[in-house]
Amino acid sequence: MINFTINGQNVTALKGETILQAARKAGFYIPTMCYLEKTTPCASCRLCVVETDKTDGFILSCQTPPTEGLAVTIDSDALKTERTNIMRLYNVNHPLECGVCDKSGACDLQNKTLEFGISSQHFSAKEQHRTIEHWGLINYDPSLCILCEKCVHVCNEIIGDDAIELKFGGYKSSVIPKNSDTLDCTFCGECIAVCPVGALVSSNFQYSANAWELTQIPATCAHCSAGCALTYEVRHTSNTVGAIPKIYRVTNDFEHTTLCGAGRFGFDFNVNGTKDPKMFAKAVAAIQSATAIRFSSLITNEEALILQKLKEKFGFKLYNEEARAYQQFMNAYGSMCGKTGCGGTLEAIKQSDAVILLGGRISSDNPAVRYAVTTAARHRGAKVMYMHPLEDELLQNVVTQYVKYEVGTEEGVVAMLAKTLLEGCDLSNEIREFLDELDEGYLCAESNVGDEEFSRIAKSSLRAKQKTLVIGSDLLSHKRAENIARLCALIEMYTDFSIVVVAPSVNTVGVSLICELDTDIGGANIVGYNAEGDFTMGSLGNPELLLPSLNSQEGTFVSMNAQVLPTNVAVGFDGYTLNDIANALGLNAQYTIDYTPQLPRDKGFNGTPFDDLGNFYTALGEDRRGYILKNTDVEINGVLEEINDLPEFNGTVVYRCNPINQFNGYTAQTKQLEKDATLRGSTQFAAAAKIADGDKIRIEFAKGVQERVFVIDSTLKGTVALVPTYDVALGSLGEQYRFEKVKIIKMGSES
Amino acid sequence: MHHEEVFTNRNVTESSAYYYVDIESYPTTGWDKFKQVVRRTFSGELFIGLWVVMREMIKFDIHTVQYPKEKLPLGPRYRAVHKLLRLWESGYERCIGCGLCEKICISDCIRMDTRIDENSRKEVTEYSINLGRCIFCGYCAEVCPELAIVHGPRYENASEQRAHFVIKDDMLTPLDLLKAGAQEEYPGFGAIIPGSDDAVKKTPLAY
Repeated sequence: MINFTINGQNVTALKGETILQAARKAGFYIPTMCYLEKTTPCASCRLCVVETDKTDGFILSCQTPPTEGLAVTIDSDALKTERTNIMRLYNVNHPLECGVCDKSGACDLQNKTLEFGISSQHFSAKEQHRTIEHWGLINYDPSLCILCEKCVHVCNEIIGDDAIELKFGGYKSSVIPKNSDTLDCTFCGECIAVCPVGALVSSNFQYSANAWELTQIPATCAHCSAGCALTYEVRHTSNTVGAIPKIYRVTNDFEHTTLCGAGRFGFDFNVNGTKDPKMFAKAVAAIQSATAIRFSSLITNEEALILQKLKEKFGFKLYNEEARAYQQFMNAYGSMCGKTGCGGTLEAIKQSDAVILLGGRISSDNPAVRYAVTTAARHRGAKVMYMHPLEDELLQNVVTQYVKYEVGTEEGVVAMLAKTLLEGCDLSNEIREFLDELDEGYLCAESNVGDEEFSRIAKSSLRAKQKTLVIGSDLLSHKRAENIARLCALIEMYTDFSIVVVAPSVNTVGVSLICELDTDIGGANIVGYNAEGDFTMGSLGNPELLLPSLNSQEGTFVSMNAQVLPTNVAVGFDGYTLNDIANALGLNAQYTIDYTPQLPRDKGFNGTPFDDLGNFYTALGEDRRGYILKNTDVEINGVLEEINDLPEFNGTVVYRCNPINQFNGYTAQTKQLEKDATLRGSTQFAAAAKIADGDKIRIEFAKGVQERVFVIDSTLKGTVALVPTYDVALGSLGEQYRFEKVKIIKMGSES
Repeated sequence: MHHEEVFTNRNVTESSAYYYVDIESYPTTGWDKFKQVVRRTFSGELFIGLWVVMREMIKFDIHTVQYPKEKLPLGPRYRAVHKLLRLWESGYERCIGCGLCEKICISDCIRMDTRIDENSRKEVTEYSINLGRCIFCGYCAEVCPELAIVHGPRYENASEQRAHFVIKDDMLTPLDLLKAGAQEEYPGFGAIIPGSDDAVKKTPLAY
């Protein structure tokens, strides 16, 4: 703790905090234009200048930590003059187009100009010719840009795309794509979010509505298990199309949260239905006579509870293979370490010095994990070890060690990893014996990971203070998932690694806690809720009964951080809901959210009613969203099994992996997101499968056949190709092991 | 010098000039009622009125406004149905789609829709005013930064429906009228205040 004074008042700062941070905590106001809480200071605006008794002239409070006994002045006349002059310079030749600018009404420059009373221009500069850039989903107007560098900082430090940079040239300076003529990035749109003026805007939203016309609805993103906070901004459409409510854009609290492109641009997946009593009666009858309900994890906790209650009442089965795989993984994990949940969170990844990413392509599976890893690498210099059969070009800026293992050998890799990391730990004899008996030679040879690679991992993580192991969804759907889970549990129990399990879908975690799931053996009379079935309902595909999509529902999700997060209705739905069906079947609740307090307490839910759940961050960045699940104790009865023979995958192997910003049937429907449905592989894969770039091919899986176009992706290496899943079978990813040996036939060549 | 005004005592007293009107009692029988009707019908009062009309007709000094052929002159600040104006030189619409009129409208009767056009400029695609709700307060014209929406003098808006909409095409000056120089500027609500030019602060230019 450092004690110092601001304007004569005593203030304390934590070690590592800057004067600005301490001042904000203590409630002092220091104006800034370029400061972003989540990045390192840009230090470009110089509005945050302060005076101290120990320095001559002004210092920047955003990047200077206080020293003991320092006396800081934040609002002397000299400082006011300095800041006013800076604001005058910002306004030189700034286009007077607030009337049409999208940012008007929510613009930092507008606010500060009024705050400092800049009503006229005293300086002049010869105006440059500046052209408006169109970068796909993003438009950039350099004449509005104030060169605060926030966009460059988030892109580099948080996202990791490193796609834009500042072109220096005095008054000619502007933001340009890095090493490219046009913007080539993952289109997360975070640069749009942080832009304090209207320079970077969403091309789809630009000039379509004013900030003050939009109703802001705080919600939770429905695309992946990170459960990011977002705000749906809703307005009526034009009169000619009926003036109905529509989501115009998605924004986020960019000071404290980060959104990926799917969250920001993939919002228009809502459907609308009508009340058709005949179809409703058919749905009720179908459930009454059903042997099972198959459902996806794109569901709220409340609806999952309704399904569980209906199961208890009617005795049918509940099928959700993806959530069941997760459930089994976590049960096996719990049976070893005695806890229901893992200790790691996204926040913990950001604070880590060493991160191991194992068994998942996180840049497309879960961008929030990628951003957290990038943050750790950039801000803490974290060692990032990426273990996967496929290298990922998007991670190459942050990964310090890439470990390639053979497809299917995850169990062996995890066993070897456990052995490496548990070296020198105080273990029980049983575990020690198990690890000693591992056939290192066999495991290393089959997985193709050398001893020296494991020892390098051990060395990298040895000196780290905070460590995280990220378990990807390859491991959840692996045949030996349970043994892998037990081994992972050992790592969390005996080392200071905390574990983060990347659940595949938005509410996989919630479903696995609430529902008793059965093995999907098919059968007659299956009702599908956003899944295949004899009678289908939901909002994906062409269901017989339309039910609201996740942005037309209120309810809660459980994120991979074990946090119960509320979501709200962005646009209304006129048809029936699952709750209406449940009421017709003998349950009794006026609204779906009446089930929120009834979520099972033995699984860690605390019974808070929906309306009492917060969904925001405070000005200082404290998370006030929902609540954290209680990590409850379970019986320890797990026994490690012998490592099985490691399977071999030869020939043409594909990996179920969606392109960036695609996740499920919802993202597949959206207007703005790119829909790349091709099979992407390296030239090596093309040679092995005897196909060429642009060929129409037929892929024969163990279950089903797909027809796609093959495209050579120069960023890929090796003999595994990426096949998307968002556009088939209602878009679920995690139902089966993600690698599969397939037969690929060039269309037209078969006789 | 103290002066005390002397007021007439208007209170009703015994000695004041007030008296009770001797109101004839209402006829009660049928015969009495009949006699009253005959007396009133054939008295000369009817012809006094007819004479006044006749006299004025012969004088040919008629003040009647021949509405709807003829209308009374309106004051410059009269606020009737809105007009959207164009720029004189280029013929472009003056409206930039800032949405201030929509925001300020206290009866919430203006609705507009905008989009980005091919030249990356904001284009107003729809503009409508619900005259059934409009109270003709003039705020929209006053807030408009471009003198684009003004109140014209057309006050006839009788309609078959309560909610009578005017849409953009109804309000916007047609191009042929503009070219003929027939677009009118209205000096009332939203117009430039006389002497505005002198109040503008000049920005130094480097070229």
